[in-house]
Amino acid sequence: MQGRLSAWLVKHGLVHRSLGFDYQGIETLQIKPEDWHSIAVILYVYGYNYLRSQCAYDVAPGGLLASVYHLTRIEYGVDQPEEVCIKVFAPRNNPRIPSVFWVWKSADFQERESYDMLGISYANHPRLKRILMPESWIGWPLRKDYIAPNFYEIQDAH
Amino acid sequence: MATASSCMASTKFSIPSWIRGSRISTKQGRINSFPSVPFSVSAQQQQQPPSQVEEPRQFNPPPPLEVGGGSTQQPQKKELRPVESQVNVRSRNMSREYGGQWLSSATRHVRIYAAYIDPVTSEFDQTQTDKLTIILDPTNEFLWTPDTCNKVYAYFQELVDHYEGAPLTEYTLRLIGSDVEHYIRKLLYDGEIKYNMNARVLNFSMGKPRILFNNNNNNISEEDQIQ
Repeated sequence: MQGRLSAWLVKHGLVHRSLGFDYQGIETLQIKPEDWHSIAVILYVYGYNYLRSQCAYDVAPGGLLASVYHLTRIEYGVDQPEEVCIKVFAPRNNPRIPSVFWVWKSADFQERESYDMLGISYANHPRLKRILMPESWIGWPLRKDYIAPNFYEIQDAH
Repeated sequence: MATASSCMASTKFSIPSWIRGSRISTKQGRINSFPSVPFSVSAQQQQQPPSQVEEPRQFNPPPPLEVGGGSTQQPQKKELRPVESQVNVRSRNMSREYGGQWLSSATRHVRIYAAYIDPVTSEFDQTQTDKLTIILDPTNEFLWTPDTCNKVYAYFQELVDHYEGAPLTEYTLRLIGSDVEHYIRKLLYDGEIKYNMNARVLNFSMGKPRILFNNNNNNISEEDQIQ
């Protein structure tokens, strides 16, 4: 089963793997981290001008980390915009994924959050540092192998 | 923490010289409702004859020692190495150009600052980052005696020694502060400290008072029960 975008990518010789469709019928593609930056640019040129959401998750204990991008093609006079979901997987010992900040600026804080929670380092992100946790925090809280320190009552009062 | 060699993440403050020797010191306890008095311990492994603990407190009326239970497993006590009290301390590095904040771990019963705080004037000298200051139970939730205070201070000193070499960050301070909090809870469950029933906020933040908690031998007497 191949969606439109997948067929288009195949036609232009771009490496990807189709992961099927999600429950809303939105096409899901897997793209290798090393291809991701160029394909992001291509997708932007193709017309996906809106990064609707970026998130990340830990696939399995000891497994890969995934960074997920939901792209939408916003145009005038279209009530069913084209959408696509891109997943990029990275190994957990050295998770490096090119940042799409320079393509879709709205990836800024979301990639920082993914970095903060899962430790995926986005190459070329302009200011990749922790956004939710204190900067001196150690560890990546949303990884499945994270062990929460035995803190008593965290609060910000001084 | 402020210590040797290991490359540390620089904190937001200008920390001039905290990379030289390993010295941490701690001081200041606010005990019962007495004015906060200097309680200082240093992590230096030298000098300071251990007996001289630099009188931290002037417990004018020594509060009645209310030892609960019969549990007498003494943790081997670290002797305290207090920081000698200083004169003419001025608040420094508190202004906005230094970030307007300070390195601390603040929980309800334990406040740890990487600074020297003058016990009398409360001047807050942030340039002395080789010292840690603990303020114990600022809201007076528990009834403290010099003995239990010293236990907490000794435990704090032990932790500070344990974390020697770790970067001086909020995270490390929080680890220390949390351990001290857990220790305070243990003291409470062992009946060594009690809730202060005259505290301004009486919400029993470490659990409701109860009888026979952690009491291995059943030799409680009437006074041991919660009044």
